[in-house]
Amino acid sequence: MAPGQKLYPRATVKKIVKAHSNCNVSKNVDVLIFLDYALFMQTLMKEATIEAKQGGERGITARGVRKVTADSLAKFKG
Amino acid sequence: MARESHPRVDVTPKPRAASADPAPSTSRRSIKTPGSSQARGVQRPQGLSASGRKPPPLVATPHARAALRAIDSRRAAIFTPHRARRQSLREARETPRDFLLPLGRVLARNTNTINSSSSPRDQKTPGSGGGDADGDTIMEEDEYDDEDDDLPKRPRLSLPIDADDDDSDLQPHRSAGLEDDNLTARSIELPRRAFSEQPGSRYSLASMRMSDYFNGNDVPPSEEVGIDSGFFPPRNAIDQDTLDLGAGDISAYERLDSDVGRRDTAQFSDFEIEVPVNMNEDTFMIAPQAQESPTHEAPGLHEPVDESEALDAQSDDDNGVPEPELAEEASDAGSEAAVEAFAKSDAQRSTKKRAIKVSKYGIECPSLPPAVVKRLAQTFAKTSGAKGKITPDALKVIMQASDWFFEQLGDDLQAYAKHAGRKTIEESDMLTIMKRQRQTNPHTTPFALAQRHLPRELLQELRMTPPAPLKRRRKAGGGNEDEEIT
Repeated sequence: MAPGQKLYPRATVKKIVKAHSNCNVSKNVDVLIFLDYALFMQTLMKEATIEAKQGGERGITARGVRKVTADSLAKFKG
Repeated sequence: MARESHPRVDVTPKPRAASADPAPSTSRRSIKTPGSSQARGVQRPQGLSASGRKPPPLVATPHARAALRAIDSRRAAIFTPHRARRQSLREARETPRDFLLPLGRVLARNTNTINSSSSPRDQKTPGSGGGDADGDTIMEEDEYDDEDDDLPKRPRLSLPIDADDDDSDLQPHRSAGLEDDNLTARSIELPRRAFSEQPGSRYSLASMRMSDYFNGNDVPPSEEVGIDSGFFPPRNAIDQDTLDLGAGDISAYERLDSDVGRRDTAQFSDFEIEVPVNMNEDTFMIAPQAQESPTHEAPGLHEPVDESEALDAQSDDDNGVPEPELAEEASDAGSEAAVEAFAKSDAQRSTKKRAIKVSKYGIECPSLPPAVVKRLAQTFAKTSGAKGKITPDALKVIMQASDWFFEQLGDDLQAYAKHAGRKTIEESDMLTIMKRQRQTNPHTTPFALAQRHLPRELLQELRMTPPAPLKRRRKAGGGNEDEEIT
């Protein structure tokens, strides 16, 4: 990540979670949430890469991602 | 055949000695010579002098004959169907029966033959079989022996008869087609929930939702399906009833149990309050306010907006006529207002590409900016070894996945906080979730994860403010927090 760049929109993350949970979000949870999101993203990308390799495609395709989304999400079910 | 050649070797040691003189070392020649000298004495002297150079058909040594016979039999086995092969194996096949048959005669004198229902030979085996077990079995054996010649294949006795005759009947297991799917991740650990928890309070628990929207995901034109089915009034009514009013005609209720309505809510991006495209705003929960207060114009946008938004708009344009009619059917209250609102929202949608999404609580929620998602995905894709860039299509799917992720996470967090009797989501909830997701365990602290994945600034943030949950984690792991923190 570029140093000068904004890391991630903290307010947005907070807003998203707040909207979905209908709860208040305490001060620094969003960091952890973002961490979790990053982990999810890592899982998703890893799975998609594996899928792409299995399918003989190069790079990550929409189809591959779509295929692994369910599993990745299920993995991240609390 | 080898057995045949050996005695000949023993019988005629003398020619072997003679032939062994020029080249005594090779065992092959020692085998060849005696047999050939016995079989064709005329050829033998030449074979002696130049044994290696003899063409095989001329030198009919037992070895060669055996080879020829083997070739012939192989050819016969190839060109004739199973019969020859079967007969060659016959003795091997019959041996167990030869043993077992006398044994059966001795042991089971007065038992009946068993009529197996699965065998097609039922009509041939004598069903009565009363006291004359011997006769029966003998008859049977005769029949079998006859049929051995007649039938092309003779099934083994140990299996259900005819089961091994045609291998084409062996269907692959029905999971065979699924193997390309990555099922392992799912099969390792699926959360189990009580049925009472299923339907609703926590959105992410409803498994039908997951599967549904993944079906919808797998089939890209599902949104179109939704749009199409929106033309039919009953479905439209269902959508409205289940979602907001809860009061409608009975015909709608009849179909509530069918999962049509649920699928409707699930198939669209499940973020927004689901309004079918054709729905008019006045039956929608938020919409009445929308007509009074200008601040709530957003509900016009709250209709399902997915990647196929352009498609939406397009189809809306196509079907501008039937939708107001449907609106009238659904609710007679304000059809012209509905038309108005619809036109307005349509215009808005066409102008504004990215519409605002609304969570199920009616709170407007943005989605992460695509740039952030893309950057994150790119870095992780690179680390996992994918080549190339992330295509816009893939990014779109990733965006949707992350939307779902946040929705799921929000639901889970809410459940955790509620369970703790709070109205605020705290770090402990998040830590619990991560633990439950098997992201953190006694060996992997959340802080280590953070150190690995988060940039330094965020790390600072995480460290400075919430020392309490960290300490709690440390207690589980044990020992020194400061060293690991810094």
